[in-house]
Amino acid sequence: MKIRTIRHIFKEGFVNSYRNKLMSLASIAIVVASLIVFGIFLLLVINMETNIEMWKEQPQLEAFCYVELDNTQVQMVEDVIKKDDRILQYERVDKEQAFAKMRDKLGKNSAILEGYGAEIFPVSFIIRLKDVSYSDEIVKALEGVSGVEKVSYSQDTIEVITRVSHWFKLGSGVMIMIFLVVSVFIISNTIKLTVFARRKEINIMKYIGATDWFIRWPFVVEGVIISIVGAILALVISAYGYSLLYDKFAQDLFLAESQLLSLVEIKDVWTQLASSYVIIATMVGATGSFISLRRHLKV
Amino acid sequence: MVELKGVSKTYPNGTVALRDVNLKIEKGEFVFIVGPSGSGKSSLVKLLLKEEDVTDGEVYVNGYDVSSMTRSEVPYLRRSLGFVFQDFRLLPNKTVYENVAFAMIITEALPKEIRRQVPMALALVGLSRKANMYPSQLSGGEQQRVALARALANNPALLIADEPTGNLDPETSWEIMKLLSEVNHRGTTVIVATHEKSIVDEMKKRVVSISKGLIVRDQEKGQYRDEDKNNQAYI
Ligand SMILES: Nc1ncnc2c1ncn2[C@@H]1O[C@H](COP(=O)(O)OP(=O)(O)OP(=O)(O)O)[C@@H](O)[C@H]1O
Ligand SMILES: [Mg+2]
Repeated sequence: MKIRTIRHIFKEGFVNSYRNKLMSLASIAIVVASLIVFGIFLLLVINMETNIEMWKEQPQLEAFCYVELDNTQVQMVEDVIKKDDRILQYERVDKEQAFAKMRDKLGKNSAILEGYGAEIFPVSFIIRLKDVSYSDEIVKALEGVSGVEKVSYSQDTIEVITRVSHWFKLGSGVMIMIFLVVSVFIISNTIKLTVFARRKEINIMKYIGATDWFIRWPFVVEGVIISIVGAILALVISAYGYSLLYDKFAQDLFLAESQLLSLVEIKDVWTQLASSYVIIATMVGATGSFISLRRHLKV
Repeated sequence: MVELKGVSKTYPNGTVALRDVNLKIEKGEFVFIVGPSGSGKSSLVKLLLKEEDVTDGEVYVNGYDVSSMTRSEVPYLRRSLGFVFQDFRLLPNKTVYENVAFAMIITEALPKEIRRQVPMALALVGLSRKANMYPSQLSGGEQQRVALARALANNPALLIADEPTGNLDPETSWEIMKLLSEVNHRGTTVIVATHEKSIVDEMKKRVVSISKGLIVRDQEKGQYRDEDKNNQAYI
């Protein structure tokens, strides 16, 4: 196929999709809707993954001392922690703080603490590691330090979150598939209608010796144009919506400062979003057109 | 140029349109195909364009073995021919110029070639001034002249017309026929299926007469006879 023929095919595709404005707009809307649903899932998954990565990178250990240790013995444990250069930072939780924490946690039920004082709680150290790979050896080392009763670590939480995210990805994968199939169907239907509307024209082209593909390609271009326009609109809408959400999140001081959760900035994900939109849209548009042409354009 | 050997055509519903037709048309000839309505003129034309397949026999057109060609070869056969139909068959969304140019774009002709050839074809049919109009803005005769210009754009060796004047008044019909005759004088073989008695009589060309699917007469400098009009008269 020559360049000028390809140019002609693209021109025809553009002109025809413009001529079919109404149908094109309807299918563009469906494509936008499906892509936005896809985008929501994609952004959720990206955010989940980055948060999991972050949590993995800074696992928190908590080392509990025996309740009966006195201050000097606790100080000895603290010295060991302080000297360990695999530890990024640590925070000492005194008996009073532990007591207060528990009272907060119990809330209305704090009555059961009546008659007890801070002395029943152990002193503990919340430890942040420089690297996740140290966690097992550090746990062993700390458990060997005299005065340390047990070391608990948050690996369990990470595991749970990882599992949840796995199932979430699977679920959203299924949802996305459904939406893509619907989009393919809608586009193939649009192309079917334009094929029917142009029956006569197609016939004339056949009479003057146009090959099958010379007749078919403009329809494929039309399908792809519809979905690419849909992709661009979807990108604008989802990027804008996401930045709004991001700003709201930044204003939520509690969440922002807790550092438990952080949102990925739109500028870090928009290329990923855009490229997946365009790739998906092109595939959806081409597939939709092909299906329709196979079934309705027996040239 | 065109040869039919023992050609029969039976439609799927059982209608027999052509029976054992043998016909040979040489390069440079001008041939009228006449016959009553339903006699098989259009069926014959459709076999030449491979719009319909033969039931039996062999068809050769322009060096192509039409009766045994595959679907993918059909466009190339059609590009080597020019056709004109009763209903013009112009693309309504394209201008006169674009309609003619389209026949060349299909063949992947050079733009330079298209820019040279299209105005020439339009000049030949006398429509240079209406190049930028759309078919709906033209009279029937003008539309048929655009169709003729399109058919000639690729310089075909053979031009086939099925009742090209069927939708036109007598005067306009004459203009179209004169154009076809002029095209023939320039060396193109022309085949015209028609009902126009006066024109056929006047032009004194070869006349092939079909009745109920049979060639009943084949005359040089022939005439349109009354039996050609009357479905009941023959056989
Ligand atoms: N697609 C078709 N299916 C079935 N029968 C057909 C078909 N096309 C034509 N026929 C029949 O074949 C016969 C020949 O038709 P054809 O169109 O060739 O006649 P014609 O000579 O062109 O007539 P007219 O002068 O009216 O155009 C007719 O009986 C017609 O009804
Ligand atoms: Mg006919």
